[in-house]
Amino acid sequence: MDRLINSLRVRLIGVVLVIHAALVPLLYLGVSVIIQEGYAELFVNSVRSFSKLTADELEASGEREFEQRAAALLDGAMLTGQVVFSEITDGQHKVHSSLAIDAAPVPRADDFDFGDHGDQVYYITHRIKRGDRSIMLRLGFDEGPTLERIVGAKRRVLLAVLTFTFVSIAVSIWLSAVIARPMVRLQEAAKRVAGGDVHAHLEMNSSIREVQDLTHHLESMREKLVGANDRLASEIREREVSERKRLDLERQLLHRERIATIGTLAGGVAHEFNNILTPILLYSQVALDDTPPDSAVAKDLTRIVAAAHRARSLVARILTFSRQMDVPQTSVFPLRPTVEEALALLRAIVPANIDIVFDPSEDDSMISGDASLIHQVIINLCTNGYQSMRRTGGTLAVRLGVAENPTVPQLDPGKYAMLEVGDSGHGMDPAVMAHIFEPFFTTRGVGEGTGLGLSVVHGIVTSMGGSITVESTIGSGSTFRVYLPAATRTLLEGEPASG
Amino acid sequence: MAAILVVDDELEVGEAIQRVLERAGFTVVVTNSADAALQALEGHQPDIVVTDVIMPKVHGLELIRIVRGQYPRVRVVAISGGGSFGPLAYKPDAISTHAYLAGAREAGADEVLTKPFDMGDLLATIRRLLPN
Repeated sequence: MDRLINSLRVRLIGVVLVIHAALVPLLYLGVSVIIQEGYAELFVNSVRSFSKLTADELEASGEREFEQRAAALLDGAMLTGQVVFSEITDGQHKVHSSLAIDAAPVPRADDFDFGDHGDQVYYITHRIKRGDRSIMLRLGFDEGPTLERIVGAKRRVLLAVLTFTFVSIAVSIWLSAVIARPMVRLQEAAKRVAGGDVHAHLEMNSSIREVQDLTHHLESMREKLVGANDRLASEIREREVSERKRLDLERQLLHRERIATIGTLAGGVAHEFNNILTPILLYSQVALDDTPPDSAVAKDLTRIVAAAHRARSLVARILTFSRQMDVPQTSVFPLRPTVEEALALLRAIVPANIDIVFDPSEDDSMISGDASLIHQVIINLCTNGYQSMRRTGGTLAVRLGVAENPTVPQLDPGKYAMLEVGDSGHGMDPAVMAHIFEPFFTTRGVGEGTGLGLSVVHGIVTSMGGSITVESTIGSGSTFRVYLPAATRTLLEGEPASG
Repeated sequence: MAAILVVDDELEVGEAIQRVLERAGFTVVVTNSADAALQALEGHQPDIVVTDVIMPKVHGLELIRIVRGQYPRVRVVAISGGGSFGPLAYKPDAISTHAYLAGAREAGADEVLTKPFDMGDLLATIRRLLPN
């Protein structure tokens, strides 16, 4: 109800109604008074002049003919229909009397009030001088016709006032609609904008200048807001991207640091072991030299020497690993042997129900970077692949190839070495696929995956100027493709492994 | 017979080398620090110094340089088991035995051996350094 009362239209109409209610009755009353008084004045003037005329006539008539003259005059007056009562008295003697109306009482005194007493008769008395006598002439005039005319005039005025009121209220209703319509439309448009459709234009075909101006200002305000909103949104996006990049870097750094720590530790252990192995090897060889070759002791010592040799090569491998895990060793190296090495390692850990198929490229690509990182890329991608088909079994297909100007986002045109790892596992839906390269995203249960594998792969590939793509079909598996910039064949000799 | 000075902070290692070399007929003195080695160099006048590279206080590379400078006729064999020990200055590009031994060669070692080495390799290396 309050909403209705507070609406612009109802307010406008209400104001018009209040003005009419206050002014229209006043107007009507005023006009009524003017009509009444005007008619009364006309009536009184005419009857007064008529009775004066009659009195003068009688005064001027001679003594003898007075009575006849009076009778004739008064009868004539009665005949006009306007005079309904006439009487002439000479002292107590009634000279002449006529009465047109039966029931009208005749008042003793003169009645100068028009329309009063309810008898609708206006009485006038004149004194006529005849010598030393005073003769009284009394006339009564009918007020009825005049009163009827007054009522008629008042009715017409009322009609006119009412007509004016209705017309003016109707016009105010129409005007209020005209004024309110653009407001309502503007309000609807504003509602759409507020509801999220910020690009809904605030348009108004109003011919009212104020409404046009308002619309124009609101529209430019909306445009500014939309602009500011867009800028804000893109700023937030940029922040998110840079934040993600920062996290990515931080994580890579952390990873590197951890690996470097492991490398240092492994290096220290290897040093100790080499020192321990030296006397073992030397003493057992001396002892072996001092022992008859066919003796049981010689056989035992031979085994000790063999075991020490094995220990030596193990330590050498640990040292190689720790060196690899140290500061990145940038070199130009062929991709294929690196992949083969990694696959050899993987075959040892992949369950028997999973086949690893390797399809090397005919064109043996060289790439530039840290071979140990490529090692990690392959291990992570393959681990990810085989874990998706651990229960069902399947095939892990690793393929090498060359791509000239691949149509991959973020890649400059050029020659790229392509490493493809495909599995026949359960695949991913697009929602999962959108997040797989994000750190700590995992579909596996707690303790099964760190959620870092693919993000590390992404970080390594990106840092090498390459790119990674993924295709996946639910139920039939996923294929990852890594593109790495191909290097020119200028092989830097890497240092040989110690041993 | 030639005299050999063996320097290794791990006494076990030095004694094992001593055992092999004495058995082969060499005169052997073992010390476990570069300082002791410098005194022994004065006292024993060795023909060959077999020294570890990574040692506390005075580093093996330092010892090799001193020997090269003060005793130009003494031959030097550097031995190392690699690892990530020692000041970073001696870790040129990686914590590999190869890097240490490359440093030793640069400092003036005639031969290098990676720990743990075989008896045969040790003897062959020593014999290569002796005249005739």
